[in-house]
Amino acid sequence: MLEKLIEIVAEQLHVEESEVKPETDFKADLRADSLDLFELVMALEEEYDVEIPTEDLEKLTTVQAVIEYLKQKGIE
Amino acid sequence: MKKTEICDLFGIKYPVIQGGMAWVAEHNLAAAVSNAGGLGIIAAANAPCEYVRDEIRKTREMTDRPFGVNIMLLSPHAEAVARVVAEEKVPVVTTGAGNPGIYMRQWKEAGIRVVPVVASVALAKLMQRAGADAVVAEGCESGGHIGESTTMTLVPQVVDAVSIPVIAAGGIADGRGFAAARMLGAQAVQIGTRFVVSKECIVHPRYKQQILRAKDIDSVVTGRSGGHPVRALRNKMTREYLRREQNGYSFEELESLTVGALRKAVVDGDVDYGTLMAGQIAGMIEEESTCREIIEGIMTEAEHLLNQTW
Repeated sequence: MLEKLIEIVAEQLHVEESEVKPETDFKADLRADSLDLFELVMALEEEYDVEIPTEDLEKLTTVQAVIEYLKQKGIE
Repeated sequence: MKKTEICDLFGIKYPVIQGGMAWVAEHNLAAAVSNAGGLGIIAAANAPCEYVRDEIRKTREMTDRPFGVNIMLLSPHAEAVARVVAEEKVPVVTTGAGNPGIYMRQWKEAGIRVVPVVASVALAKLMQRAGADAVVAEGCESGGHIGESTTMTLVPQVVDAVSIPVIAAGGIADGRGFAAARMLGAQAVQIGTRFVVSKECIVHPRYKQQILRAKDIDSVVTGRSGGHPVRALRNKMTREYLRREQNGYSFEELESLTVGALRKAVVDGDVDYGTLMAGQIAGMIEEESTCREIIEGIMTEAEHLLNQTW
């Protein structure tokens, strides 16, 4: 899960996989803007076949937060 | 005059929406645009909710036509303003600077048509799924806070990606721009800069004068380095801002130039140090007109062009 997620984040935000750790904050550490985050969410939805309602987007701040969010949705 | 889906959705005569420009889009302008058959918009910007309620009521005193409120989602008052528009049952809400998902249910229950302003296909899709009635696809030709894509490229891609009506914004100020937007698949246009120089608009005469004087290359984008690009007319402030930006000044040092600067431009007419937000089309705008003259002029020209064949 973590490995795949890091791959997706790195690809969507155009950074090296080595820069992406569980605690990495998309905005603060990777300088993602809101448009980048919408792209990331679309990619997550596609990969994990899950619907992420727009009101949940604010929770998805770090790699770890995404993992926990997906876990709650039954995806591990 | 032909109608589009947007005319029926909003209950308006002409598919022309006025942009939700902070400090500029208040009740006088909104009511004038609505009375002329378009959709006037009040900008909530960073204002407290009671100011917005007052503006809504003043607009209702001046027009019985539909109008809207633009909510800037980064505002510290966004949540309270979101509640006020629902309480006042404002016909249309447009949103900027983010994701209005958490307010969607509240607004739909109040019977409000919700129209997020989007700068990407991904956001347009998410907004459609969240229940948006239409989207404004706004290209970076626009004045104020902008995205990366141009109107020419963004509009057809958003049109292809969603099934709700798309309103084109950015770089449109006459019948040619309207006709082009229709060709790209838009059901309406949103116009900002042209309405800043309408007779009913309350901005300082010197601000209007600068738009009328502007040439094609007279707008610049500041704030790209911080991720919040803003397009405005070139002046002493933008020059200093860009100098600091190139020299790696801190966010605070950049910010100190723009705090309160829009108010300076709109209210005080400070054309040197105010932020004269305007789109790239400012260079084409040559005279101050009434909102009715603007809208009817655009529609007449567009209808003529769209009826032509080659």
